[in-house]
Amino acid sequence: MESIAVEMRDITKIFGHKAANDHVNFTLRRGTIHGLLGENGAGKTTLMNILYGLYKPEGGDIFLKGERVDIQSPEKAISLGIGMVHQHFMLANPLTVTENIMAGNFRKRQILLRKDQFRREVLELAERYKMKVDPDSYIWQNSVGEQQRIEILSVLFQDIDILILDEPTAVLTPSETDELFITLRELVDDGKSIVMITHKLDEILQVADEVTVLRDGKNVGCRKIDETVTKRDLSSMMIGYDIDLDLQSTHECTGDCIALSVKDLTVKNDKGLIALDHISFDIKEGEILGLAGVDGNGQKELCEALTGLRPVEAGQIYVKGDDFTGKNSKDFINAGVSFVPEDRRDVGLALDWNIANNLIIKEYGTDAFSSRGLLLRNKIKSHAKEMIERFDIRAIGEDALVKDLSGGNQQKVILARELNGLPSVLIANQPTRGVDINATMNIRREIIESSNNGTAVLLVSADLEEIIQVSDRIAVIYDGKIMGILPGRSSVAEIGPLMLGERMQRHDETASA
Amino acid sequence: MMKRRLRSSISTTWQTAVIVVAALLLGALFIAFAGESPLECYGVMLEGALGSMSRISEIMIKMVPLMIMALGVSIAFRAKLWNIGAEGQMIVGAITSAVVGLYIPLLPWLHMIIAPIFGMIGGALWAMIAGWLRVRFNANEVITTMMLNYVALYLLAYMVYGPMQEPGGYNYPQSSSMAESIQLTPLGAGLRVNTSVFVAIGVLILIILFWRSRFGFTVDLLGHGTKITNYAGLNANRTIIWTMMLSGALSGLVGWIEVYGVHFRLLEGIGAGFGDLAVVITLLGKMSPIGILFASFFISALLVGGATMQRMTAIPYSIVDIIQGLVIVLLITQPMIQQKLQARKARGIYVE
Repeated sequence: MESIAVEMRDITKIFGHKAANDHVNFTLRRGTIHGLLGENGAGKTTLMNILYGLYKPEGGDIFLKGERVDIQSPEKAISLGIGMVHQHFMLANPLTVTENIMAGNFRKRQILLRKDQFRREVLELAERYKMKVDPDSYIWQNSVGEQQRIEILSVLFQDIDILILDEPTAVLTPSETDELFITLRELVDDGKSIVMITHKLDEILQVADEVTVLRDGKNVGCRKIDETVTKRDLSSMMIGYDIDLDLQSTHECTGDCIALSVKDLTVKNDKGLIALDHISFDIKEGEILGLAGVDGNGQKELCEALTGLRPVEAGQIYVKGDDFTGKNSKDFINAGVSFVPEDRRDVGLALDWNIANNLIIKEYGTDAFSSRGLLLRNKIKSHAKEMIERFDIRAIGEDALVKDLSGGNQQKVILARELNGLPSVLIANQPTRGVDINATMNIRREIIESSNNGTAVLLVSADLEEIIQVSDRIAVIYDGKIMGILPGRSSVAEIGPLMLGERMQRHDETASA
Repeated sequence: MMKRRLRSSISTTWQTAVIVVAALLLGALFIAFAGESPLECYGVMLEGALGSMSRISEIMIKMVPLMIMALGVSIAFRAKLWNIGAEGQMIVGAITSAVVGLYIPLLPWLHMIIAPIFGMIGGALWAMIAGWLRVRFNANEVITTMMLNYVALYLLAYMVYGPMQEPGGYNYPQSSSMAESIQLTPLGAGLRVNTSVFVAIGVLILIILFWRSRFGFTVDLLGHGTKITNYAGLNANRTIIWTMMLSGALSGLVGWIEVYGVHFRLLEGIGAGFGDLAVVITLLGKMSPIGILFASFFISALLVGGATMQRMTAIPYSIVDIIQGLVIVLLITQPMIQQKLQARKARGIYVE
């Protein structure tokens, strides 16, 4: 008989005006992987933070193995055998793996720290769950996937029975994801119970035994995962209606002229280290070049260099044949280079400002919106109304503050601004990250449409599905270098190895093709 | 949702009024504790502030510099540059404009143009130092502007005890007085209030227009962060510097008004704590020009009325300081109180 590890009943949590969890019930069976599925803002993380003692709910009860418990703090949660791995790792870079795990666990040990003993225990634990870890390496020497493994190990060290993982695959490559899932299986076979928060349907089908779907803070259903469950079932539960998941791009690049050309570009990151190492590529008018790669391999620096926001150390950037190396961001904007930045909350939008103002931050000085230095309020307003209509931005009006919009609508505000006036080049960095499925599809459609109108697009994304779906050609970046440029519709199996740094054999031929 | 927005926009306008009323009510408690009648006290204060032309003239004398300085401070504040060095910028503006009047022989009407410009340049350059330190070394402008206040104070002391001291005076820390021909003209016989009132009105109108212009938009944009400012194709560093200069220029202009319209000379103590009051007024006026107009009137009336009250009743002048303090406390606690109220309202919706 299956026993129940955790039961949460009628959990209610309110933030400001909104109920993040509205009488949510959740049951985790012992020895299973339970997917917690929902769009961003559906209340998944909130629910798990309550279980982990980070938030105090306004109402509801938690039962552990049938007994009612009161979890006021993470400390209490850990003592009850509940551990959580957050989306952002809590590791100290300058320390070794052993030292980090010691730091998280020394309290219950003796006063004198015995590093060698710890090291042995770390190794034992890693071996038990078949996790490859070097206990003497420093955190910064480990890849993101390895760091996550260390984080999980550190949590397991606390003798927990229930492991909560918040979007564990968001930062992993496909093969690292597979490895993680193998580890999770090992843990479950050992009798542990796992909650995996995610918004990716594939992962649920691949690894979960059961799934609970949240929508708008409410539990909309729980299902056992078997062969009869399809992606479509889950997505309609998640968003409340059916949606076409297969965006068939009929897009064909027809242009001949090269709109954006990068030659031997070398750029440094904020720490002064080489972020881009002599990379070269061309994008034709009307072409979408997808740039695949794990986060942090130079994508951000590339986008900034291509929009005049980061100095170029060596190499050249040509926009429509003109040398733009060393020009500033204004020059790039004037040349029709649009930019959807990765960090929309800090860079792309003024959150405390209304939609109308956000739509004109690049253009308010032009004759369209000001005359003799004074802003033309009516024109700004009517422009905003037009954009809200055209891009289907869901808001109470042009005066709505951007911070009150959902992630998808915020992104639409940026796209409305950047795609208005037919840019010659669009640099889009993670345009659909953190955006719900419906908005994701709309954003991809908008990008395809702009390329149909002749815009050259550089689409940077860590989401391979997205890259494959819309790109005419696919470049893969690793450690600041282009590993190869593949034709569109290449498979994950072809792209995956390049994302891990395996250079393509025929790199030179394809790059120039 | 719609209703909420409407309510919040109205409430912003009323916030200033609510804070003023709350401060006066709490002040009444203190007066009652002191064993006096709050009603009588406020009556005397009101009478003392607005009871006669000369009283109103006194309010104007305070209100003109405070409002202009607060308008200057608000420019920096809206860019999220916390310039609390208005006093130092005013002092330097006073020095530079006094130099024109004392040492540069010009036709009187030319003086009236050159002296305020020098004052503004002095204030602008003083503020620019803090802006440059911020851009170059990422130095927090709260610290640098505050430190520069002290530097300005000592610079002033050096000037009025040293090179600019009145020759043949009795070693007072002051310069010679300005020639009558270049002083600001009083608006009526026996009144101290002078033509600087028109300067203040002009500045107010210009600042209202400024916030409707693309330059004001740029300052507001900077207030949303340097990253988005650069992203929008502007140079955030350059914007920081000219915003600080503009902010300091208005304080520098006040330096000119004080030298040419109130004291008629440069003297130690010309700053008179205006810098701190300007910050309070800026925040009380919610950084909007009209809000600042009303807030500067309230604070000035409080200062003038308080002085009268002290003369007429047993209540000490410190009640004015208490009310000012209450205004500050209320301003700081206001967001917290608002949040609490909102949270309670929200809970009411969902718990039922």
